[in-house]
Amino acid sequence: MLPFSYTLRSLFVRRSSTLLTVFGIGATVAVVSGVLALRQGFTTMFSDSGRDDIAVFLRPGSTNEGDSRFRRQLGDQLMKSLPEIAKDAEGRPLAGMECYLAILREKTSGGKTNVAIRGIQPRGFAVHGKAVRVVEGERFKPGSDEIIVAKKLAARIRDCRLGDVLVLNTTPLKVVGIFESDGPYGSEIWGDLDRVLAALNIDNPNRVVAKMRSGTDVPALAKRLKKHKVYPARVLTERAYLQSQTAGLSVTLLVLGVMLAVIMGLAAVFTATNTMLAAISSRTHEIGILLATGFRPVPVFLSFLFEALLLGLLGGAVGCLMALPLNGLETGAMNFNTFTEAAFAFRVTPGVLTTAVLFALVLGLVGGAFPAWRAARMRPVEALRRA
Amino acid sequence: MIRLENVTRVYRRGGEKLTVLDGLSLDMEGGKFYALMGPSGSGKTTMLNLVGGLDRPDSGHVAVAGEDVGALEGAALSQWRADNVGFVFQGFNLIPVLTALENVMLPLSLTPLSRAERRKHAEFALELVGMSDRLSHRPQQLSGGQEQRVAIARAIATDPGIILADEPTGDLDRDSADQVLGLLERLNKEFQKTILMVTHDPAAAERAQRIVNLDKGRLADDPREGA
Ligand SMILES: Nc1ncnc2c1ncn2[C@@H]1O[C@H](COP(=O)(O)OP(=O)(O)O)[C@@H](O)[C@H]1O
Ligand SMILES: [Mg+2]
Repeated sequence: MLPFSYTLRSLFVRRSSTLLTVFGIGATVAVVSGVLALRQGFTTMFSDSGRDDIAVFLRPGSTNEGDSRFRRQLGDQLMKSLPEIAKDAEGRPLAGMECYLAILREKTSGGKTNVAIRGIQPRGFAVHGKAVRVVEGERFKPGSDEIIVAKKLAARIRDCRLGDVLVLNTTPLKVVGIFESDGPYGSEIWGDLDRVLAALNIDNPNRVVAKMRSGTDVPALAKRLKKHKVYPARVLTERAYLQSQTAGLSVTLLVLGVMLAVIMGLAAVFTATNTMLAAISSRTHEIGILLATGFRPVPVFLSFLFEALLLGLLGGAVGCLMALPLNGLETGAMNFNTFTEAAFAFRVTPGVLTTAVLFALVLGLVGGAFPAWRAARMRPVEALRRA
Repeated sequence: MIRLENVTRVYRRGGEKLTVLDGLSLDMEGGKFYALMGPSGSGKTTMLNLVGGLDRPDSGHVAVAGEDVGALEGAALSQWRADNVGFVFQGFNLIPVLTALENVMLPLSLTPLSRAERRKHAEFALELVGMSDRLSHRPQQLSGGQEQRVAIARAIATDPGIILADEPTGDLDRDSADQVLGLLERLNKEFQKTILMVTHDPAAAERAQRIVNLDKGRLADDPREGA
């Protein structure tokens, strides 16, 4: 086996082409990790914030609350009669109907975007518990034309700061509180169910949410309610519901990531191949000496492959360094299921970094394989004749 | 020890055939210092490469210490080279990114020796060529003569029986050339190495015990044997 220092110093001797290649691989890795971090941030926000003890009831056949409609009487009946639903101290079901709609609003930076507005019933706060935290002002009063706005929206959307008045169609709604939430609720506007429905001129809510008694078998409940004669519903846990909402964007980002990985990866592999071919060509005589000394083609092949792998590793490290500052950076992206804008952060997780480094190693490996093979196949006599 | 039997080596380039060695037969004794002379293009390097197992004859046999070198292949041939032959070339003998010591340790990494033993062997070889004070110098920090001496140290590091040197003094000034030739003489006399040295320089050839003259791929008479 050829010594490690041989590989390391060979890379260092031709610093400029090494740096160029490392940077090429690094840029590729950074872009791909950026997309992966975006996907990670999106997925994490949706799936990690969903709770297993909250059940979401949709109209059978609908995939998201936007296209679900629940008749009020049926919702009331369901909440009152399902034994699995937890009760509050006064014996009332910890459940509530919610309406949900995307409304077009102006951004403070200009242009328009869809923002989700949700109307909830008085016990809705109890259902969602600590997931929704008012950090400024106070909760809206039941039955009033007051709203609370997610902190992430307050600065980005016009008329959303504390004390502002947001006009919905013709109804003025006063912003009395700012709230935080880690999940998708963190990009919404919340108000009283009846008032929001009235402002939007809609009769029925979109879904029922309920806190379930501990130990409730939600899949079994789902099966039972699927074909229920009075109030048929599609039931799933809040976590499962939110996970299903990420599928579209998640796949899109994955496809984008793979496409970028392939296109930029090809360019990076090409650079790496070129660098290694140039290295091997200028070291032909050296390879002749190695082979003449008795080194076999396989160790020579491995040594050059290792050199390329090291290029990949360095590129991966550089790529990670370039991607790391993205971590925590907030951005808005479209939820393609409901067509509302959701704000979330890039998440450069250890998983993302591991993928990035592995990807860089693959780039080095693929780029180095052919040059290394060429080096190993050289005939010592001919290699030695080249000065 | 080294026996060439009716060895032919033909290069084909385009449609042309170039017969470099033309039915060459030659016996060389073990433990002797041979000089191989002849005009440029007469096939000296080709012959050296055949003896060292870097090349194969088109016909005929090359046997070294009873081993049919031309018949060895792949790993067996590499191993045979590592065990039996040390090479010294005209110039650019060393790996530029490795120090003198590392260059000499390189062929030793093909042996089962431990790292410490490899280092000991390499240091001994470098001491033998008078380069003990240059262990951590890179080739470009050495003079041509010093580089050749390190190359000789590398060639003898694994203690092979045969040293093949292709114009080892070709690029050197008189004094450096003398040192290198003196070293080869010493390796032959003290350590009984069989040495085959290609040279253009009659003065260098005089240091050898036997002179083989090649001309157009055939043997010309050794002027001293004729006398
Ligand atoms: N790989 C090769 N392909 C074609 N011709 C070659 C090759 N190697 C050497 N030759 C030719 O063979 C002849 C002998 O070469 P060589 O053995 O190097 O001679 P010398 O070392 O005596 O100068 C030269 O004419 C050289 O050009
Ligand atoms: Mg020659």
